[in-house]
Amino acid sequence: MLEPDVTLLLQFLGKDDGRASNELLPLLYAELRRLAGARMRREKAGHTLQPTALVHEAWMRMVGETDRTWANRAHFFAAASESMRRILIESARRKSRIKRGGGGLVKINLDDLDLAAGEVDDNILLIDEAIEELEKSDPEKAGIVVMKFFGGMTNQEIAQHLGVTERTVERHWAYARAWLLRAVTKEQ
Amino acid sequence: MNSKQEQEELIFDQARELKSLAEQSSFLEQACNGDAEMKRRLLELLSFEPKAQRFLDGVMGKVKDSHLLEEIPDAPDEFDDQVGTMVGRYKLLEKIGEGGCGSVYMAEQTEPVRRRVALKIIKLGMDTKSVVARFDAERQALALMDHPNIARVLDAGATETGRPYFVMELVRGFKITEYCDANQLTMPQRLGLFIQVCHAVQHAHQKGVIHRDIKPSNILVSVHDSGPMPKVIDFGIAKAIEEPLTDLTLFTAYSQLIGTPAYMSPEQAEMRGSDIDTRSDIYSLGVLLYELLTGKTPFDGQELIRSGLDNLRHTLREQYPQRPSTMVTTMQGNELQATAKRRQSEPLKLISALNGDLDWIVMKALEKERQRRYQTANALAMEIQRYLDHEPVLARPPSRFYRLRKLVRRNQIAFAAAAAVFLALAAGFGVSTWMFFREREATKIAVDAKEHEAQLRAAAERGAANEVELRQAAESHAKNIQAAGLIQNNRFEEAEKLMTTIPQKYQTMEGIQALRSLGEWHAIRKEWQPAAKLFDLVLKVNQSEATYYSSLDYARQACTLMKLKDAAAYETLRQDMIRRFAGTTERHIADRVLRYSLLSPPDAKLSERLSPFVGCLTNQPINPASFADDSAWHYLGVAMYEYRQGQYADGANYCQKCLNYIGRAGPGSARIAVANILLAMCDVQLGRKDDAQPHFADGKDLVDQKFKTPLPATDGFSSWFDWIYARILLDEAESLMTCENYISPGH
Repeated sequence: MLEPDVTLLLQFLGKDDGRASNELLPLLYAELRRLAGARMRREKAGHTLQPTALVHEAWMRMVGETDRTWANRAHFFAAASESMRRILIESARRKSRIKRGGGGLVKINLDDLDLAAGEVDDNILLIDEAIEELEKSDPEKAGIVVMKFFGGMTNQEIAQHLGVTERTVERHWAYARAWLLRAVTKEQ
Repeated sequence: MNSKQEQEELIFDQARELKSLAEQSSFLEQACNGDAEMKRRLLELLSFEPKAQRFLDGVMGKVKDSHLLEEIPDAPDEFDDQVGTMVGRYKLLEKIGEGGCGSVYMAEQTEPVRRRVALKIIKLGMDTKSVVARFDAERQALALMDHPNIARVLDAGATETGRPYFVMELVRGFKITEYCDANQLTMPQRLGLFIQVCHAVQHAHQKGVIHRDIKPSNILVSVHDSGPMPKVIDFGIAKAIEEPLTDLTLFTAYSQLIGTPAYMSPEQAEMRGSDIDTRSDIYSLGVLLYELLTGKTPFDGQELIRSGLDNLRHTLREQYPQRPSTMVTTMQGNELQATAKRRQSEPLKLISALNGDLDWIVMKALEKERQRRYQTANALAMEIQRYLDHEPVLARPPSRFYRLRKLVRRNQIAFAAAAAVFLALAAGFGVSTWMFFREREATKIAVDAKEHEAQLRAAAERGAANEVELRQAAESHAKNIQAAGLIQNNRFEEAEKLMTTIPQKYQTMEGIQALRSLGEWHAIRKEWQPAAKLFDLVLKVNQSEATYYSSLDYARQACTLMKLKDAAAYETLRQDMIRRFAGTTERHIADRVLRYSLLSPPDAKLSERLSPFVGCLTNQPINPASFADDSAWHYLGVAMYEYRQGQYADGANYCQKCLNYIGRAGPGSARIAVANILLAMCDVQLGRKDDAQPHFADGKDLVDQKFKTPLPATDGFSSWFDWIYARILLDEAESLMTCENYISPGH
């Protein structure tokens, strides 16, 4: 049996407007998890994993140099960002639950922001909740947050994926990140 | 995002460029146009803006140092490092394969017997329960399969983590295609292996098991004392893991489970899962055979996926692939060399080996409608055996009539490809030049290669002096090949448009065949005018082709001109035919010249010129051996000649000779009709009306019967023009009979 050819998948689904991400998700989800697991076993404890670096590694492994099409790369990264979000959230949820025994999340105090306050897993969960909220009112901006934050995508890549100008991406992103920060901080 | 949100975002975007809070505030005062709530919201948001990026960067930085990613359970490949662990009662020993579908391990079974098996663990994402349930439903049937060329599926179950697995007889071997190429198996050797595969599939079908996923990677060849032995693996698995497919899951199905749609039958692509039967496997066997013979699949699997779902289905449902011989002919020179070498053959030999029987066998297995395929794997195997034994095969070119019917049915569908051809040709020199070189490449290996090259070189030399002419020559040669391709796909109208743009001096051999097919297409539709034009062109262009073929071209045109009642043109044609074949010693040519030049009475001079042809037929004693097949029938030409000379008794005599020896004429063939009609005509002229009557009736019956339905190009015994000939003669006989009745009513 053949390995699923991601490039072909991208091309195949690129024609069926927007479904690429959905179809790619399970594939990428599995691949990213596998990559993370393999990396950790290889590099032992003490080494750290950057999620966005992992996404890039997945691209190189699954598609690599064989496909230099920007549109494909953008679709791929969009799907990979969403996969990475799910992976991190699942992991954070598990950890956070163990720690808090299921209590609610505590919002961040804006004044403590620079002190790296709060546990990272809680922060991730807060951000995820905020993104979910944003998805209801403005799904495009929510998508941009996922791509920027979880996938480390450039404005150019996002613009390519969404079919808008880079300037528009920059504008949405500026607004969305401010909105996001407000959403995760305590009322003053 | 609604317009109010958008407006707010635009204001925000401008405001964040401003340095101080005061500047921002006064800008917002204006921009918000008195909407105090909006201003407050935006000011608040602006206060978060400077810290937002830093915050997000900070969190991501911390993710890196956290253990979030380290603690991901490594589920999807949990068995990667699991060699040595137990799955059910099987101990994993070694990973021997991995694919879209899952991983395959060599495993050891300890009870009830100790043996090595192959264990295939299906990837996550399947509904394990229904997979196992579907497998259980097949288990009974699978257990009944017992064939040396089938790897048995022994068991199935679910791992502790809920993934389905299958246990199979362990086969150590190579993909059949790889094995054949690596060992440079000849065509007969490949066909021998393929026959074994057919027998295995037949056995499974008899036990009620359909494979559904026959492709090279599921047929492994291992070498035994007795020679190479193919084994079909994965029987029953495709059905078990085949989810009810929807468009949405389709791709996953293709890429993960099935790998490539290149081997998929049209009905499988339609996704009506319940509608799959054994003949779907026959199609896949056809694809496998195609690949064993040519090294390629009829349609490129990746191209199919790339074309998108609808196009993929459309292609599999509507498009006829190139015949194997054509596929090989269109390969680049070095690719063709390599393909031939892998079969211990040479390009020309390979092409001629494929051309004919093997082409038709493969194409029959690949029929779109399954009732037109071989109905069983055994039938396919027997057919190949017949080919290997040099016996006639049952597969025949699909009748022109059938193809015409299909053409009419398909006509509504616009063929994008046709448009592409025209565009490419219209696109001008760049494409044409490319086509020119491609064609040059292709013609190098074509059967009449030398002649072509000379033509092309001549064209190129002429063109060096005159670029316009070069271009025209190149385009014409490209068009010839394109037209031949269009005709092969029954796209006659398009082909004709293309052909009429080719100047006569640039016609090629492919072009002649194309023109001939077009003429026949018109003729069987009774469009005599365009048919005559095309046959005329064929005869003009084709002064070099073997006489056998061109004598048939004269026959075609003779009938066509008679139907057109163009006496002058017919006269010219028969003079030309007599000149061209004067001095022939071949009986069948002499017979043909006589028959087709005597559709209308000759003058004395013409009769004189025809007498050598009669001599050719009557001076030579008939060889008893060849008499057993066809020779007696060549007297039909003599009979026709004697009739036209008024030698009715001799004419009747020769007709009788033919009829006494039916030989291989075939029951109900056109020449039986002709002999009867001509005999009746002789009898009438001799005043033996009562004798004439039954022969006339016999002949008339045959002809009337034949013309009840549209004429096929050929019905296996007679060509369309044989029947037109009979019809013309019948018309003459009918008027003769009425005439006789009128003149001598007292008879």
